[in-house]
Amino acid sequence: MTISLSLHTQPDVPLEAELISPDKLAGLTTAEIEKQTVEHGNQKTTIADFFTVAGEKSDSLVLEGDLSKIKHIGSGMSFGKININGDVGAHLGTAMSGGEIVVEGNVGDWLAPEMLAGRVEVKGNAGHMVGSAYRGSPAGILGGEIIIHGNARNEVGHAMRNGMIVIGGDSGDFTGVNMLAGTIIVLGELGIRTGAGLRRGSVVCMKNSKLLPTFSYSCVYQPTYLRLYLLYLQSLGLGIREEQIMGHYERWCGDIIEFNRGEILLYHE
Amino acid sequence: MSENIKIVKNATCTFCGCVCDDMELTVDLDKKQIIKAKNACVLGRAWFAEHTIQEGPVALIDGKESKLEDAIEEAAQTLTKAKFPITYGLSDTTCEAQRQAVAITDFIRGTIDTTTSVCHGPSGLAFQGVGESTMTLGEVKNRADFVMYWGGNPAESHPRHFTRYSVTPKGMFTPNGKKDRTVVLVDVRRTASTPVADIFLQVKPGKDFELAWAMRALVKGHTVDASIEEETGISLEVLTDLVERMKNCNYGVLFMGMGLTMTRGRHFNSGAIMALATDLNEFTHFVAKPVRGHGNVTGADNVVSWQTGYPFGVNFSKGYPRFNPGEFTTVDTLSRGDADAALIIASDPAANFPQAAINHLHKIPVVSFDTKETATSQLAHVAFRTSTYGINTGGTAYRMDDVPITLRPAFESPFPSDEEILTALKKRVHELVIAKSRSQGAGTAKVAAPIR
Amino acid sequence: MTSYIRISNGKVYDPSNNVDGQIQDICIENGKIVETVPADARKIDASGMVIMPGGVDIHCHIAGPKVNLARKLQPEDHRHDPHPGTLHTRSGSGGTVPSTFATGYRYATLGYTTAMEAAVTPIGARHTLEELHDTPVIDKGFYVLLGNNIFLQQLLKEGRKEEFKQAVAWWINSTKAYTTKLVNPGGDEPWKGKKNSNVSDIDEKVTETDISPRQIIDAFIDAVNELGLPHPPHVHCNNLGHSGNFKTTLETMRTAGDRRVHLAHIQFHSYAGEIGKNPGSAAREIADYVNDHPNISCDVGQVMFGKSTIMTADAPLAYMLRGIAKGKWVNADTECESGCGIVPFKYQEHVYVHAMQWAIGLELFLLSKDPWRIILSTDHPNGGSFMNYPKLIKLLMDSSFRKEELSRANQKAINKTLLPELDREYSLNEIAIITRAGPARCLGLSNKGHLGVGADADITIYDDQQDKELMFNAPRYVFKSGIPVISNHEFCEDHTGKLLHVAPDYDESIVDSVRPFFENYYSIEFDNYAVDDSYLHDHEIIPTINQ
Repeated sequence: MTISLSLHTQPDVPLEAELISPDKLAGLTTAEIEKQTVEHGNQKTTIADFFTVAGEKSDSLVLEGDLSKIKHIGSGMSFGKININGDVGAHLGTAMSGGEIVVEGNVGDWLAPEMLAGRVEVKGNAGHMVGSAYRGSPAGILGGEIIIHGNARNEVGHAMRNGMIVIGGDSGDFTGVNMLAGTIIVLGELGIRTGAGLRRGSVVCMKNSKLLPTFSYSCVYQPTYLRLYLLYLQSLGLGIREEQIMGHYERWCGDIIEFNRGEILLYHE
Repeated sequence: MSENIKIVKNATCTFCGCVCDDMELTVDLDKKQIIKAKNACVLGRAWFAEHTIQEGPVALIDGKESKLEDAIEEAAQTLTKAKFPITYGLSDTTCEAQRQAVAITDFIRGTIDTTTSVCHGPSGLAFQGVGESTMTLGEVKNRADFVMYWGGNPAESHPRHFTRYSVTPKGMFTPNGKKDRTVVLVDVRRTASTPVADIFLQVKPGKDFELAWAMRALVKGHTVDASIEEETGISLEVLTDLVERMKNCNYGVLFMGMGLTMTRGRHFNSGAIMALATDLNEFTHFVAKPVRGHGNVTGADNVVSWQTGYPFGVNFSKGYPRFNPGEFTTVDTLSRGDADAALIIASDPAANFPQAAINHLHKIPVVSFDTKETATSQLAHVAFRTSTYGINTGGTAYRMDDVPITLRPAFESPFPSDEEILTALKKRVHELVIAKSRSQGAGTAKVAAPIR
Repeated sequence: MTSYIRISNGKVYDPSNNVDGQIQDICIENGKIVETVPADARKIDASGMVIMPGGVDIHCHIAGPKVNLARKLQPEDHRHDPHPGTLHTRSGSGGTVPSTFATGYRYATLGYTTAMEAAVTPIGARHTLEELHDTPVIDKGFYVLLGNNIFLQQLLKEGRKEEFKQAVAWWINSTKAYTTKLVNPGGDEPWKGKKNSNVSDIDEKVTETDISPRQIIDAFIDAVNELGLPHPPHVHCNNLGHSGNFKTTLETMRTAGDRRVHLAHIQFHSYAGEIGKNPGSAAREIADYVNDHPNISCDVGQVMFGKSTIMTADAPLAYMLRGIAKGKWVNADTECESGCGIVPFKYQEHVYVHAMQWAIGLELFLLSKDPWRIILSTDHPNGGSFMNYPKLIKLLMDSSFRKEELSRANQKAINKTLLPELDREYSLNEIAIITRAGPARCLGLSNKGHLGVGADADITIYDDQQDKELMFNAPRYVFKSGIPVISNHEFCEDHTGKLLHVAPDYDESIVDSVRPFFENYYSIEFDNYAVDDSYLHDHEIIPTINQ
């Protein structure tokens, strides 16, 4: 049994819908769900104004339609599951602390910023600021796992403190900027200035990349922990080659401006 | 020249962020024109000379002349009906007008943004990330023996910056002016500013961040590979020498231009410069500052900050301010097609925004405020013609270093000021918001009858 | 139209008029307290409630250049604490450095109706006045920073004392300030110099200026007393935050002799121990001196556990704290006038130093014998937000609550203080003194801090509750100048409040001395420097003793 919400009317200005979350809807009947408030710009409206609701009393939500103008879905969610069959807008899964979100399409900027725990998987592309800190905050995600099958744009994992972010395609500039700890794995190309201000943690990439002058080459080795990660990613259908799993990686350490205790691992052909 | 001449001393030029307040204006009151602006730079002279009074209606609705009251009513109706109204511009008007504009946006639960988001907004973000060691410009004049400009061409954008504040002036600990200072310029090409520099570093385009980052490493005593020259165009030897000079000066200053904020890397570029200045305080006193463009863009940052807590890109749709550049900044809200009405004050986005944003402006009702006809006023649903700040109307403008200065207007304009119309608009908007709330039955129970 | 209100049946605490919990009527006519009002006046039944004058904050940082920098700096601090608007009030953001509107409304929701911004550079006065205009409900004023003013120090060095006094008066008039503020006097020149250093001894002659902090303090006390300002110099002593600084604090008070002086956030200046090592408590030494010297007043600057923002004209201190907080840091030098530092900070109960600071503040409150001269403050937002005042009041009034809180703090620190042995509990009357009557008297505001006939009708009415934190957190009514801004806990009307400032007489020929210095060393024109009356919204000039 699931709760299904299918978009029948496209909002003409951004719709904010943090109520679309198992935490808020799981215990409600269909009629109650229809009456829940969403904000259409500065107007308070209801879920029924935009969605056809079916099902009730379930911690599993299925959303249908082009939701790219809808923001804050799954904000603060702590359990259950949201499946989104389409594109979705910004701030998906903000500060979520549990549960799972799976998106079949693309997502907007600020995917799961300041996440604590839980899981997000995106089959398409993501915007800027995947798993980042909001402006001014000293720390981004504290845990959890974010898997993007496609590309992501700038500032992936900005100031992340723990957890894992995987980009199946290319990532933008400043991947892992000001990172405190945790792991970012990029299977495609990195943008420029990866790991600027990196304190601890690992950024792994399967392609070669020009690094900042504050990163220094230390060695080529076969990191054993990486195998576990890559085998797991392979099981999710991400394009991991066998030789990468057992492969050699160049280890670059930095950022020397900070503690020099972070690492960037580049797959060594 | 007529007989009716007035001299205004200590007037302020609001053209650029220098906000020079030592103008001596000779005003022909009959012709309503400034005929001489002593002390003004080439840009300032043009600014003062351009502003003559052109006849025209004070307000237009859909291009037709309208009474001011009717236009205010129409603007208020338009803005209060909107679900995602945006307010933009504000850097070429007074703080008094800016205060009214924030109030209107608060009441209509709109989004407010200023031209900061298209100039030094990235420096604002960088400031929130790393902080900044900074100063008023008089400290540069009095103390700085090392002055570095990065990514700017002040000789052409801020012509008096060198002479009034930072290169040639004689101050308390710099009695010989320029002789007491080392002046360094970092830019991707030689410009009109280059001749002033004792040291000129021609950095490869798009490599400012790498250069600043390497300098941070050197300041902190780490080694940097000689390949930095190939990367950035600056040799390790030159860089090492520069860093030593910086560490050994008495009072160092880093000025940041838009060559940093509007190129790839944006806020991280300014952040790298701010962090570099901070690092150098381990060795000597070091400060940094963005060289701001518009006359009162710094005032706009200040007003929006004190009223909302955030400097630009602020949204009120939930009934309180939220900040998120990229989401609530005007180029983004227009390009994505989010906004359904716009209040544009003292700015011309229809002439200088990206095409996607301009296209959307054509689709939504726009209320514009300007001293002349502009591309934006031409497409506006309601267009107000206002007087020019600093020339016709008084008020406050903030210099790029947050120093507020009171304006001394030169002659009267037949047009009202931005502040006057915005105040009337605010009053009407507030009435409409209260009426709307009452008609929806919300709030009435809570509101005790005022007994005053 | 004249408005009349009669508030009946409430327990009144009005220490200035020796009313200690008696049930009395309070009558209001047009914003002032009067003897009686006509029978058809609006009536408010305050049965079961406590009536006090509106609170007066003698030392906080709520407006002006440094406050706005700290606001801009911390979007993360505002984001989790929004301040929604109502039909009558503007919206804003909270956190430790709230927006101007949120600041005014939030003071009102605690029953405070007057607050003094404690440190403004003269060149930033115009900015401060603009912000104060946008700070609703409360009456407000500010203290102007003159203790590191280079021109004034030159006059002192040259022994031109009369001109010094005239120049101080000129600066106060030119900025619309309430009194003079000295922050780490003498420390700015070493800080702005090559070594980012500081002055460390009250008798150390600063190389650049050849005068000592003591000379500066002494000269200001004289000048302000001679000018007859209603509030004496407001002094932030040298060596703030350093172990062993209580000696500097005692020397600063001794410098005053029997002349009036106000010591700001004295908790931060009451540390024993050796410099560079962990502090101990010197609360006893400081409290004893204050107890014995009626010319001294102080505010405590209590530290409260949780988020704070260090913002101070004491730039070297902020630089030192940057090394501890390890996050973002702002330094802002103001030409010829001041320095400034900003550091986001967090006081944690398990940290020795923070627990020690917390305990010393409470010791000072509890050891003090004259509540009229020890004023409640957190040096907002340096020791914590003013929103902590209700909790602080509970800590003072409820010794069992205090013991509970104390048991959670770092025991190594707590056990080095007298706090575990102090059982004193403040009475409501004493709370009314340290939050209202005392600060109003120290400020020389004769129409505030009391409920006698002729006073401003700034009145707070609380439900009389056992839990004092709950009680002081949510007054049922707040009247500002007779206007019921809060009624039944709801905002029902907005109010701008007014600016309080002084305008001491001075000899206008002093301008001839200031002008040449100005033209050489400032970056704005002399004639554009003084703030004109257009920046005063509703305002009141508090007369000097000589006027």
